[in-house]
Amino acid sequence: MKQKISALMDGELFEDESEVLLDQIKGNQSVRKNWAAYHLIGDVLRQPEHIHCDLSAKVRELMQDEPVLFAPRGRAIREKTRAFALSAAASLAAIGVVSWMSLQIGPESVPRMAMQSNPIHPAKAEILPKSNDYLMAHQEFSPSTDMSGGAYYIRTVSYRTDDIQPRNNPGNK
Amino acid sequence: MTDRDVDQQLVERVQRGDKHAFDLLVSKYQRRLSRLISRFVRDSAEAEDVTQEAFIKAYRALASFRGESAFYTWLYRIGINTAKNHLLSNKRRAPTSTAFDAEEAESFEDAGLLREVNTPENELMSKQVVGVVQASLQQLPEDLRSALTLREIEGLSYEEIASVMNCPVGTVRSRIFRAREAVAENLRPLLETSKGKRW
Repeated sequence: MKQKISALMDGELFEDESEVLLDQIKGNQSVRKNWAAYHLIGDVLRQPEHIHCDLSAKVRELMQDEPVLFAPRGRAIREKTRAFALSAAASLAAIGVVSWMSLQIGPESVPRMAMQSNPIHPAKAEILPKSNDYLMAHQEFSPSTDMSGGAYYIRTVSYRTDDIQPRNNPGNK
Repeated sequence: MTDRDVDQQLVERVQRGDKHAFDLLVSKYQRRLSRLISRFVRDSAEAEDVTQEAFIKAYRALASFRGESAFYTWLYRIGINTAKNHLLSNKRRAPTSTAFDAEEAESFEDAGLLREVNTPENELMSKQVVGVVQASLQQLPEDLRSALTLREIEGLSYEEIASVMNCPVGTVRSRIFRAREAVAENLRPLLETSKGKRW
């Protein structure tokens, strides 16, 4: 504990370490005396001509009449403000980049692209006369038919009119 | 963390209602502030009162302290203003009227002034404290004495001391602590016995 106090007064502890230590030593008279003695030693070594009586006891006495302070945390507010400013700047930068990119594409470039695009022409394929029969026979497999779902179950048939006439009619014999 | 960060941490604790943290700041800065004020207020008893008043004013104003400047600079300004107001209220002129700021005041060497105004009792006590600290320092092993001197007088960081002494930072930390503790051990009887005399 004492070694940590020594390091704390030299600013050689990490912030979280010193927070924990300050919580631990809060109101501890023994620690306060060590802190005061270590600072007195430093003052004697630096300015031996200016050592005088200890005023902290008197100030502590006067402080008893003073109200407890509850002020906003300066550093926390600054850090929050800084974080907010950074995030706002990043957002603005992102919006700026996106806007710039959209301006580079530009609203007039779309019709220009449309105008420049070549008209679509249907492919001209020479259909052989023989292929008509083939196509007719396999029409059910064609994706262009409106009945593509049901075409699988439909069979194409053909008939001649003389086949319909009854053959067993005795009157015809 | 730096020394300034430690002060800021203590200030924020005071701002959150921790009066004990202010006590640590008083212990740390009382002699430096008193030395500064004694440049204006020559009577030692008056200088003591003004120093105490400056600390109380600082405590009251601490809610508005945002850490834009170092705490000690801010405290010294309060000290200077309190001393000047004290002289004005007693219709006396400040010895170094306008061209005087906190930074100059801190580095100003005027060894004779405080001795001149100190009471014989305080003078004796001061001499005893200084004598014990210096004798204790001389009794320390060389490595402990060097580490403490480099820290307190030269103001080097632990890392810089480690570089100078060619040892790990952890060793520096340990040596400085052991040196302080050895000196404090000799100092404690003197501080305890003179409690009534506010030492």
